[in-house]
Amino acid sequence: MRLKALELVNGGTGILNPDGRVPAALRLLQAERSEEIYPILLEEIVRMGFPRALILSTNFETGAIAPSAAIRYPEKQLARFNTSLFAADNPLVGLMHNLKPAVISRPEYSPRPLYCHPIIFRNANVCWEAERERKVDCLATDNFRAKRRLDLDSQVCRTCEMRAYSALVVVELQKKMPAKMMGELGGLVELSNRYLSRLYKIEHYYNRMSDMEVTISQMNSVMMSMADPVILTDTHHQVIMQNQAAARFFKLPEVTTEGLVRAVELNNMLFSAALSSMAMAPGETHRDLTLVDASEGEELLFEAVSVPSYSRDGIPAGMVTVMRDVTDLRRADQELQANYEKLRIAEDIVRQDRDRLNLVIENVGDPIVVADSDAKTVLLDPLAQALFGALAEGSADPVQIKNQAVLDAYISSFTFSFANTEGQNLKLNDPATRQEVEFDARSGKIYDERGQVAYTVTVLRDFSAIRKLEQLKVERRMLEIEKFAAAGRLAATIAHEVNNPMEAIKNAIYLLSGRVNNEAEPVYEILKSETERVARIVRQMLGLYRNQESVKPVNVNLLIEDTLLLLARQMQRANVEVVHDFGDLPPAVVAADQLRQVFSNLVINAKDSMQRGGKLWIRTRHISARHDLHGWIRILIADTGSGIPEDLIATIFEPFVTTKGEKGTGLGLWIVKGIIGNHGGKLSVRSRVGKGTVFKIDLPVVRL
Amino acid sequence: MKPGAKKRSVLVVDDEASVLMTYKLILEQQGYDVVAAPTSKVAIEAVNSRSFDLVLCDFSLEQQHSGFEVIEVARKKNPDVPCVLLTGYATLETADQAKQKGIEVLFKPIDIAEFLNTTAVLLRSDNEPIKEND
Repeated sequence: MRLKALELVNGGTGILNPDGRVPAALRLLQAERSEEIYPILLEEIVRMGFPRALILSTNFETGAIAPSAAIRYPEKQLARFNTSLFAADNPLVGLMHNLKPAVISRPEYSPRPLYCHPIIFRNANVCWEAERERKVDCLATDNFRAKRRLDLDSQVCRTCEMRAYSALVVVELQKKMPAKMMGELGGLVELSNRYLSRLYKIEHYYNRMSDMEVTISQMNSVMMSMADPVILTDTHHQVIMQNQAAARFFKLPEVTTEGLVRAVELNNMLFSAALSSMAMAPGETHRDLTLVDASEGEELLFEAVSVPSYSRDGIPAGMVTVMRDVTDLRRADQELQANYEKLRIAEDIVRQDRDRLNLVIENVGDPIVVADSDAKTVLLDPLAQALFGALAEGSADPVQIKNQAVLDAYISSFTFSFANTEGQNLKLNDPATRQEVEFDARSGKIYDERGQVAYTVTVLRDFSAIRKLEQLKVERRMLEIEKFAAAGRLAATIAHEVNNPMEAIKNAIYLLSGRVNNEAEPVYEILKSETERVARIVRQMLGLYRNQESVKPVNVNLLIEDTLLLLARQMQRANVEVVHDFGDLPPAVVAADQLRQVFSNLVINAKDSMQRGGKLWIRTRHISARHDLHGWIRILIADTGSGIPEDLIATIFEPFVTTKGEKGTGLGLWIVKGIIGNHGGKLSVRSRVGKGTVFKIDLPVVRL
Repeated sequence: MKPGAKKRSVLVVDDEASVLMTYKLILEQQGYDVVAAPTSKVAIEAVNSRSFDLVLCDFSLEQQHSGFEVIEVARKKNPDVPCVLLTGYATLETADQAKQKGIEVLFKPIDIAEFLNTTAVLLRSDNEPIKEND
């Protein structure tokens, strides 16, 4: 069996005109583009037997009406038809507005009558968008139903934004045209318009779609190029779309590991949980979200901002979430917070230090002046302010101004000198009393880390106050000395009263010697020894009495020399070598006789402790002390005697304590201690049994 | 003491009767001829009526009178008479004053040995030192 290939007639329609040609309606139906319609229409008009035709189209941008297609018209004749929407008196324009076909019998631009048929974009059904949105507001149907004059100024669909076309088909007529032919012509134009409108509508949506595609791809590229993760989710929080930044967290890479899978699963879980909770709390659009960087395993903190998206008809479509990496931001914020805290603590410490320093400065009790490296005063304590005036205000008091000049001269000479410290007497005037006051200025330098002078500190000590204190001390001491002397006189008086009867008893005991019987002998011996003891005590007490002596400055070394001279024979007899080492001593106000007694008691004690002879050292020194104007006199009296047992050391200065047995009175050291105490001095003792004893006396130097 | 030799005469003055009595007894025990005067008045009368080889006189006597008065009178009569001032007030001033006038000073309470030694030295006819006796 053989198959014979058959040729389809007319593209398979099989419809042909009796003359073998494709009918006009079919040709129009076969047109796939709107541009094909006008040429087909014009060709068919000519084929119908009309001499020639053209189509005038409206340009809505400019309002110009001009031929857009023509058949059998010479080029130069076309220009005659040019007009405008605004040319109200042109009958062609009027026809376009009224949308009614008409024959113009004698137009000036044509030798023959013209059949004019206006066409416009129109459709029996609303546009697709209006249909989807269930609206009736559509240009296509408006134009279809138009009964009155058309408004050609606003030929744009309010729903789908489609711009209509408006044209006029102009056909030249021969003198005699059968009515049937005119009817066919009108039908052909209407049919063409229907196809044109349909193609126009399709092309409009095609254009819109490609416009949208461009917009979508632009949006896509914007989204993709964003460094922050952007995610589009549907109403079930399923990811519809995400950019690369988001994919890093929510999409499994091609090559994956178990860790990555877990990280991505965790991130998705956290993300949908965040979206759910945001959906539950309307109004809340920001949320902190910790995600794991799937490739680096690092935890990152995001701030997710989600905005619900809606479809055109207002139905929720899902969420658009943009996430901002705030890890660094938060870290910076925390660091900032920590630094601020540190700063605050440091400031606290500085403030405390400053407060403490101020407290110290305010409580020193002496005027203090701090000056900078230019010898400019920067700080004055309240006492200094009284002398020199407050820092900020300057002073109007001439006394303060004069004081300031004296101080400035002193401080600048010190600041620019090479000395680290400086001391000088400054004569200032007390602004309150206007009297001259002598100050002892002591200054020091404070250096910065480069070794440059940063500040100088000057402390001023009021000499007159020190002097006053000194005077008070002397007076008190003299009172003490006088009190002691009075006590001594009382003791001496009593001793003297006891002395005479005791003298008689002692003599009587002597007279009885050899005359008591043997039985009474021990009693007689007790009588004799105890009376001798009373005699010794009386002698000691009589020694306290002195004629009133004036207290005057003396050299303590001379007092010791006197004492040693008096006792020289005794010492020699006891085989005691005396070594003295006298330092330079300033004259001191002391009760000379009392001190002589001190030295004599101590020297005799030393001698008595050296039964087989020995060595006695006496050493004096002047010790300058920071806090006392004239320092101290130190006297050391040391022996190589038997020493004082440890258990007795604590009591040796108490009255009637003696280590000498029968020979001692127990008053010597008590008197020594009293006298030293009266002089404001200190007495101490160090001793080792079998080695010797050292007495140390510190007497403050007092001057009148 | 040599038998037959003339007894040394001593004037002792003290306003305390018991003290004066014991000095007198002690000195007599030494073999001296002792005149005891309880007041300066009695003492001065004694000095004026006879001569003494030694005058022992308390410093403070009755009613602000002092031993110096008695010694002065005794010296007036016999400038070479040795004198001793006995005193209970151990003041340096008194001692200095006495020493300037060539007067020995013994401070009360007086050690008996020192007392006997001093008197013996002052009363001896020759310069031989006299043995201390307890």
